[in-house]
Amino acid sequence: MAATYDFIIIGSGTSGGVLAHNLQKSGAKCLLIEAGKYFKKETFPKNEADASTQLYWGGGLEFNESATMAFLRTRAVGGTSIVNQCLMNRFDDIAFRDWKTQSEVGFFNEKDMSSYYEKVEKALVLHTFDKSEFNNNAKKFTAGCDKLGYKWDYLQRGQSDCALDKGNDCIGCLGGCRRDSKQSTMVAFIQKAEKIGLEILTEFTVDSVENKTDSVLVKGEKAGQKQVLTAKKIILAGGSFGSTGILLRSGFKDRLPALGKYFSSHPQFMSFGIYDEYIDSHKGAFQSVASKDPSFRQKGFKLENVFASPISIGMLFNSVGKRHQELMRQYRNMACIEVAVRDEPSGEIFLNKKGKVVVRKELTTRDRSRRDQGLEVIQNIFSNSGAKEVVHSPYYFGLHLMGGCVIGSNAQTSVVDPDFKVHGMDNIYISDSSIYPNAPGINPSLTIMALSQKLSEQLTR
Amino acid sequence: MSKILSKSALIAVNRIGDIIIPHSNEFPSFSEAGGIEHIDDIMSYTPPGDVKDLNMVLSILAYCPGFVLNILVKQMLSSNKKTGPLSPILRQLDIGLRGIVFTCYYSGKTGSSYKGKNPLDIIGYKITRLED
Repeated sequence: MAATYDFIIIGSGTSGGVLAHNLQKSGAKCLLIEAGKYFKKETFPKNEADASTQLYWGGGLEFNESATMAFLRTRAVGGTSIVNQCLMNRFDDIAFRDWKTQSEVGFFNEKDMSSYYEKVEKALVLHTFDKSEFNNNAKKFTAGCDKLGYKWDYLQRGQSDCALDKGNDCIGCLGGCRRDSKQSTMVAFIQKAEKIGLEILTEFTVDSVENKTDSVLVKGEKAGQKQVLTAKKIILAGGSFGSTGILLRSGFKDRLPALGKYFSSHPQFMSFGIYDEYIDSHKGAFQSVASKDPSFRQKGFKLENVFASPISIGMLFNSVGKRHQELMRQYRNMACIEVAVRDEPSGEIFLNKKGKVVVRKELTTRDRSRRDQGLEVIQNIFSNSGAKEVVHSPYYFGLHLMGGCVIGSNAQTSVVDPDFKVHGMDNIYISDSSIYPNAPGINPSLTIMALSQKLSEQLTR
Repeated sequence: MSKILSKSALIAVNRIGDIIIPHSNEFPSFSEAGGIEHIDDIMSYTPPGDVKDLNMVLSILAYCPGFVLNILVKQMLSSNKKTGPLSPILRQLDIGLRGIVFTCYYSGKTGSSYKGKNPLDIIGYKITRLED
């Protein structure tokens, strides 16, 4: 069967958007496949309930095997980049050192990655917050940190014009940005690539791929109709669950023993400080600061100043009846900090008998220790900034889904080689978060983009 | 009333909803607020297999006495501290049932016959979303 496309990119999120744009721009004939719908700024869901159900796999949440940890995974053009806060951070020496140790990949260092970071940063509009943009949640966080001597820093976010000075509340953008200010890959890359001929196939679910000598078959279905697509080369960009699931369903586990291994997720635990006065954490800049204390980095956790809309807040409290109502009545009085743990890559992704992806991932002793150290700091921050009560949510979730197809030089312990090629297969590549050798402890988005930039340059060379 | 959940499943959601959110001085109970009228908006994106399982579980719960539902809700809430073969099921029920209840209740949509204050107004949630 003759290949129809030069490249088929499976998954339109943080990695897929960059790849589709760069490869299309180079003159290649590309198809971008997405399992979800194509929402635009005018059509994003209007409220939290609709956003949760329409934009996420599983109608909202997915779980690990024991249902102790929830995962949030977006299903729409732009992937997670349309719902996250578009926080853009380069990795530090610690993250790259640990990656290089596990993978033996030579370019994992700040110097060699620098030019790729620069190119994607140039393609985005980046904004670093300052104090004038703080909402009361950020003010409480920084006041508590200052009192206790903890270092914090302003966040850098991909945004062009959030109109915060005009009263816009960006908590709503967790369901998609109505202004195209957020620098999602949909805005920064995909819409531009469409104008130069990129084809996009939405609501198409990829089941498996088959490697041929000069091409790759992509098998899947749309609206119940099975289809087979062909390309000279394909790039998996469906994230940890998506890319790993496709390779598992394609029967590659036998020849790739590391397939599905080394899954990590930066488990996040949210805590709430309740104050006498209104905090209104849902107003203004939703997330503008985070911890930057070197001791936290060494200990393996990070604090982020976040919040959530009412449905999510209700879910995070382990209470019903009067206690639930007592807490929700104080919605406006709450500040919130989460601890994100740099977890061990101990998770595993596999298929059950029905061919459905299952994730086995429990907190290790080290993960729990890191969580507890972070929660203790949060307790102190709230106590030192005037909170009358502190509530730690017992629920936790993973937003940064990493590993499953990790990169490395050894085919026994990794799935893709240092050229992003699946070991032993010349025409199948991966450059999304599934190739992460371990958890970096830093927001992964910018590095996913930088690695995809590197791969696209390699493919068009 | 719903094309997705059966009549008995809806009865169960209302009964469990009223345990999770009972009537109080300020808040309407779950069933009073009537957000369940919009259940199809919420459930239409749920995978068909999950809908089938949910209908089956809820249809059984609809006929359970109130004290059994109270015990179930308590077990659900404490399930995150437990181990054992039933705990993953209880945890999924916890997230699934509270998820439906809170999504209906705090969606901003209420029942056609409800005349009271919207739960979002009671907690003071109001956001501004500026478009171009």
